[in-house]
Amino acid sequence: MIRYFEKEPYAPVESSYEVEKVLFKIKTKFQEIEVIENSYFGKMLFLDGILQITERDEFFYHEMLTHVVMHAHPNPKRIVVIGGGDGGVVREVLKHHGVEKIYFVEIDEEVINVSKEFFPNVSCAVDDPRVEIKAMDGADFIKRCHTKVDVIIVDSTDIIGFARSLFSEDFFASIKKALSDEGFFVTHSESLHFHKDMVIEVQKTLRKVFPLVDLYATPIATYPGHWWTFAVGSKQLNPRELRRPFDIKTHYYDDEIHTQSFLTPKFYKKLLNKELPW
Amino acid sequence: MVRKFKLESIHTRMISKATLFKVFHCLDKKKFETPSLIIDSEKVKEKFSLTGQNIKRSYVFYAVKANPDMEILKFLNQLDKGFEIASEGELKILSKIGIQPNRIISSNPVKSLKFLEMAHEYGINHFSFDSIDEVEKIGKFVPEANVYIRLSVPNEGSEWPLSKKFGVELEDAVDLLCRAQNRGLNPMGITFHVGSQCTNLYNWNIALDKAKILWDMAEKKGVKLEMLNIGGGYPINYTKSVIEISTIEKNINKLIWERFPENIKIHIEPGRAVIGDAGVLVTKVIGKAKRQDNNWLYIDMGVFNGLMESLGGIKYTYLVESNNPNKKNWTLAGPSCDSFDVIDKNVSLYEPDIGNLLLILSGGAYTISYASEFNGFSIPKTILI
Repeated sequence: MIRYFEKEPYAPVESSYEVEKVLFKIKTKFQEIEVIENSYFGKMLFLDGILQITERDEFFYHEMLTHVVMHAHPNPKRIVVIGGGDGGVVREVLKHHGVEKIYFVEIDEEVINVSKEFFPNVSCAVDDPRVEIKAMDGADFIKRCHTKVDVIIVDSTDIIGFARSLFSEDFFASIKKALSDEGFFVTHSESLHFHKDMVIEVQKTLRKVFPLVDLYATPIATYPGHWWTFAVGSKQLNPRELRRPFDIKTHYYDDEIHTQSFLTPKFYKKLLNKELPW
Repeated sequence: MVRKFKLESIHTRMISKATLFKVFHCLDKKKFETPSLIIDSEKVKEKFSLTGQNIKRSYVFYAVKANPDMEILKFLNQLDKGFEIASEGELKILSKIGIQPNRIISSNPVKSLKFLEMAHEYGINHFSFDSIDEVEKIGKFVPEANVYIRLSVPNEGSEWPLSKKFGVELEDAVDLLCRAQNRGLNPMGITFHVGSQCTNLYNWNIALDKAKILWDMAEKKGVKLEMLNIGGGYPINYTKSVIEISTIEKNINKLIWERFPENIKIHIEPGRAVIGDAGVLVTKVIGKAKRQDNNWLYIDMGVFNGLMESLGGIKYTYLVESNNPNKKNWTLAGPSCDSFDVIDKNVSLYEPDIGNLLLILSGGAYTISYASEFNGFSIPKTILI
């Protein structure tokens, strides 16, 4: 049996997956895209050798990245999704009925095409008329965005790789400018086990820009360190609070998960003070 | 512009993800001049705070020679520890920042007359020595100074040995301590240096055993000591993971408390361990050539403007910007016309294009402090982030 070895240099463990079949492989202008079939996880999408989603458990990441800020917002209408070419976040956003418009900004259109072909249950909403696909750099889009939006979601690849422009102070500042007063920003910020220094770094950079910054975490089986975090920036509303009833269909996220996924205050303080001993 | 670096697991063992993330952000900016040295201030703070933490009654003095950049010294000054200097030039920098004299010591066993004069005027009162002439000099310029004797100890296993040039053996040491007392100085301690970048834990055992013998010998002769200066020598990661500072210090602490009186004061002088692995040197590829079977890669920093230690055996880890999928073995050379200016051989790297960046990890210590403008090539600028 062939095994696929994930190339994540900053994980102290190496993940490998049995390959039933290599379904697709292409090198685009930006990255290498691969799709393999695994007997447990089903189809798996890799970008530059790093696992992005699996058919079996993609909803953990997509639901948790999307619904926390969507429910914290009283009435989100205009949304920007940066990255997330597989379409999973777009699918989750459209579960909220009030949404009028999604700008779906993916630098590599090829990821969207691959997802349409191999992950139809993930990409199912990208052709919805409310979705406007922009094949461009997310940082450029936000800089030139002149109308206010309610929620901005970044679903990027590894922070240290070519997605790093989506984690700079400049980028966060233009995000803040693009958001309406009740707006929220959310992005992934890696593992509390393996990348604690990065989690702190993203929190600190966000704090330079946003008055309210917070952090929540979710177990994700296929990301290194598993204990995956999401960083939130807000202009005035506390993201820990739900401002609309939970009435959408999900697999993992719900109103209770929402509240309990945030780091407890003592633990959060220890993290930022670098007092966690691992 | 987002630059594409060929990151491999060797790099991730040498430099933390957050440091690299910040360095990359700095490099993504449009106008970035090379050669430069980027220092991660947070890492410096972390390392400086870590030294001495596991040794009781210890006082830490940053060895200024490792990197005397003004901004770095100003930053270190906020951390409320001391400084170790060797010359009038280093004193001038510290005086500009306004560092109090009681936070400064000098462990250079042979000091210039000008420095002694200035040091006395400034109020510095702790000096090392290892010769009778130095006793006379210090006696003349800084009467009643606190002095400590430099003892010779084995330097095996350190990558940058220092014992050959300085230090005396036990009998001479006792004799010099007595001579200092007779000259009106206050002989109050012992110092030694196990060698810079010392990865041999055992060196500290031998050194402390030897220091204990000297301590007792001196006491018998009527010289009561109170301080032990254990120098520097803590290693950092260059191409492999080295023993942790906390492990080294726990060992030293145990040895000290088994041997010496409870009220002893311990001085530590880290340089490399504070600033070395917080620094990334940023160089640019300026040429490539194939000569016989060798692939030569030329960068805008060489042994004369920053990489002097490569001549003495320090090996670095390189991280290259490249769009090429193939690796080659390179001879890495500096920009000057001198044939000594070869940094490393048999370096396996992805092939860069001319103008691509080549980063040298753990380049914060003993790089810019050695650099000259030989041949008109500039000294790297230091950027504190």
